Formats: sequence, C-alpha cells, structure tokens
Amino acid sequence: MTQKQTKKKEVYVIHPEDNTGTVIRPNVTKGTTLEIEEGKTVDVLKDIPYGHKIAVKEIKKGDTIWKYGLSIGSAIEDIAVGDHVHVHNIESNRGRGDRFAEEQEGGEK
Amino acid sequence: MGQFQGYVRPDGSVGIRNTLLILSGTIYANSTAERVADSIEGAVAITHPLGRCQVRPDLRTTFHTLVGTGKNPNVGGVIVIDHFREEGCTAEEIAHEIQKTGKPVEIVNIRHSNGAIEATAQALRKAMNMKRELSSLTREPVDVSKLLFGLNCGTSDTTSGLGSNPALGHCSDRIVNQGGRSILAEVTELMGAEDHIRDRAVTAAVGDDVVAAIDGFEQRALASGEDIRGSQPTGDNIMGGLSSIEEKSLGAYQKSGSAPINGLIDYGEQPTDDSGLYIMYTPGHGSESITGIAAAGAQVLVFSTGGGHVINHPIMPTIRITSNVNSFEAMEDTMELDLSDIFNGDLSLQDAGDQIYDEVMETCNGKLTKAEILQEHTGFAIHRTGVSI
Repeated sequence: MTQKQTKKKEVYVIHPEDNTGTVIRPNVTKGTTLEIEEGKTVDVLKDIPYGHKIAVKEIKKGDTIWKYGLSIGSAIEDIAVGDHVHVHNIESNRGRGDRFAEEQEGGEK
Repeated sequence: MGQFQGYVRPDGSVGIRNTLLILSGTIYANSTAERVADSIEGAVAITHPLGRCQVRPDLRTTFHTLVGTGKNPNVGGVIVIDHFREEGCTAEEIAHEIQKTGKPVEIVNIRHSNGAIEATAQALRKAMNMKRELSSLTREPVDVSKLLFGLNCGTSDTTSGLGSNPALGHCSDRIVNQGGRSILAEVTELMGAEDHIRDRAVTAAVGDDVVAAIDGFEQRALASGEDIRGSQPTGDNIMGGLSSIEEKSLGAYQKSGSAPINGLIDYGEQPTDDSGLYIMYTPGHGSESITGIAAAGAQVLVFSTGGGHVINHPIMPTIRITSNVNSFEAMEDTMELDLSDIFNGDLSLQDAGDQIYDEVMETCNGKLTKAEILQEHTGFAIHRTGVSI
C-alpha cells in the first residue's frame, strides 16, 4: 500500500462547540490514537465502528450532546474523552413516550 | 441557464420520461394491471393495496395520490384498471382528473368487461395503441426552471449528514438558482432543525406551518402510546452510528441546501410555480415519502443513503447516492453515484454537489438509472393514517 501525500481526516468535528466527532477512519480499536484537529490527538478508549461518534470533550451525566453545534440528545452517564458515544450512553429528548405518559398521569415520579 | 431534453406535455409541464402507465385503481385490479404492463414494451404498472374500505381522509389521499401519479409529466398516457366500483375512488373519477392535463387516458373495468381475461385483452389493445401514439413524441430542449426536484434520504448513517446530504443540498441550490423548485419531505426527520427552518422560511407564517407539522408528527407518534425511540432512528441507522432522532434529523436537513423555504405542502400536493424549496408533509417511510413527491409532479429525485438502497419510484427516476465507500461497494448494483472521496480523497462538498447535478441532468436527458433497467419498482406506497373499515 502506498501512503497518500495528503493526510486524511480521521475524525470529523463539525462545529467548534461540539463535544462529539465522527470517526471516519476504518478499524479504530481501543488504544488507537486519533488526530481530531491539527496537533490535537485523542486516545481511543473502546473499539469504534466507522461512522460512529467519539467524545472529544469530557461529558457529564445529563450534559447536552452537541453535533452540528446543536443538541442531539443528553448523556445518561459520564463519558470520558475517547469513549464511544452512542445509544448505550446518550438518549434522545424528542418524541419521548415515557415522559408523555408521565405528563398524562399528571405527576412526576 | 441550463437546459435538458424533455417531453413537453399539452399542459406545458415537461417530462423526462414518456411512460405508458397502467394504473390500478384498487387492490383487486392489481394482477390485471401487472399482466397488461408485462405484455407491453416499456409500460409500467402501479399497484397498491388501497382504494377500498378506507376512512375518508385516507381514501382522499389514495385518490389524490393516484391522480397526481397519473398527472406526473413523466407519464405520457394512462390506462386505469378498475375492479367494479369503489365509491370515492372510481376509475372514472381518476381518469377525469388526469385528463385535465390533456394526455390520453383510458379506462378498463374488470366487471364490465366480464372478468379478468377479457379486461386484460381490452386493456392490452388500448395500451398497444396508446404506446404507438406516445412513441411518436420526441424530446426537445427546455429550461432547468421546468424541473421539480425531489430530495429524500434513507438507510442513513453518519456519513449521510456529513457527506452526501450537504452535497445534495448544493445540487438542489443549483436547480433552484436557475428558477427550478425542490421538495424536501420526511417531516418526522426535521425534528430538532426547527430554528434553522424558521430562519429560512419566506414568511413567519410559513415557518410556523412547518414547525406545527413537525410537532404534529411528534404528537401523533406519542398519541399511539409509543415512543419515537425504537422506530426512529431505525435499526440500520443505529448500526450506522446515528444515536437519536435529533441527530438523524440534523443530518437529513443538510440535503435541503440553502434556498428559501416557500411553503408547506400536503402529501402529494403540487407546489406553486415560485422557484424555491417546499416542504411536503410525509413520514420518514422512504417509499411513502417519494410516492408523495412524485404525485406532486417531481420528474426526478435524488435519494441519499448511508447504508445503500434499492429504492426506485416506478415513474420518477430515483438516483441513489452515497458517501460511504463500504456501502457503495456492497450495493454497487443499485447505486448510481459514489461520493466517498469526500472522506477518502479530496472531493469537496461543492464538487460532489456538481457531480450529483451532472448525473441529474444526464438522467433528465434520458440516461437510465440502474433501477429503471432492473425494473425495481419498490418505491410506491401511499401514506395512510387511519384503519381499514
């Protein structure tokens, strides 16, 4: 395999405020070091499939998850830099049947 | 201004195909419609399980969708096949509406023809003669402003929102900048993009309409006693790395480009003539969504996918694009355009958008999509909200 001259992007962080980036390098396994921007790297804590998200900032439980500079949900646990960010540790805030049912019953849990 | 070679219809609309459509009015006419289309060169059957025992709003949607599909300028002529008589959705009523475009329309009724075999014979004869008439029409140069361009995505993954969707947005802008119109649909998948939509709406009222439609879908989903999580994002979306409906929406929204949002239109409704972007009230279901877009008169649609897709509307060429190299390689037989150099090479989103635009123009001039050649007709499904009665 010949190495291309131009260095390919490994993580796509769309907006400067975003706390997640999209891994666009195949075969990213635990222990890999990824460059998220010029001179800034992240140590990968879990295997992350192509196209999945990685935390590029410390995220606390309940924090908003930012991508495109906009909310894509909230953290349901603390997420360390380099961790895989997906349905196991974040949740949607839209179309929530459980919250709707609670509201209908007229009380908080 | 750019031009393409199209078929100018009697009402001034322009088709990019000259299809003879065998349109089934109701479920019991489906087999006859298919039998006729199978025997006629280049004819396409459109079949569906509806048109009967539907609640009124759904029956109206079925009727308007069948009419709109027949009126689509890609259709040169129509044979409507009916079983007997479906109140509110008869072949006569469907044909009457389609005839307003000035194109040839004929009816065959299975009961009145004494059964399926005689109906097939009658329809075949009408179809043969109509096909001969259509075959004498020729393409002529027309302006890109005549295009009504459909935008849709499906089996999205994270590459969609970063690559193929924003590239498609550039393509849509190029068409609108030349006086054309685009339709963005899948209102469920705009959840989370409300502020952007308000900023782009031509009036505050249009912004309010679109946001109310998004809210309506959310409430409808909640009223079912269920949760949007579990159905949106879908299983294939989650495999592709999308974690929430908001994330999926913000990615989906990228394909709308930057043109002004002129208005919200109903499922299958024709937009006004004003150049710009229209938002159609459709669900995220790919086939239901593109069926509504085709019924509004769109001649061509680009379908942006992450995981790859076979979808194709029977009379509206559906160009499948992806920026995920793995998906292109896995699904190359049914994908038209590989834009993975956005991530794996030096392809800018702008240049990728130009590639899509070139593919759209070639398709408008007559180049067939892979799905047209394979006769993949999975992209027709009429949206419904109520029960069968």
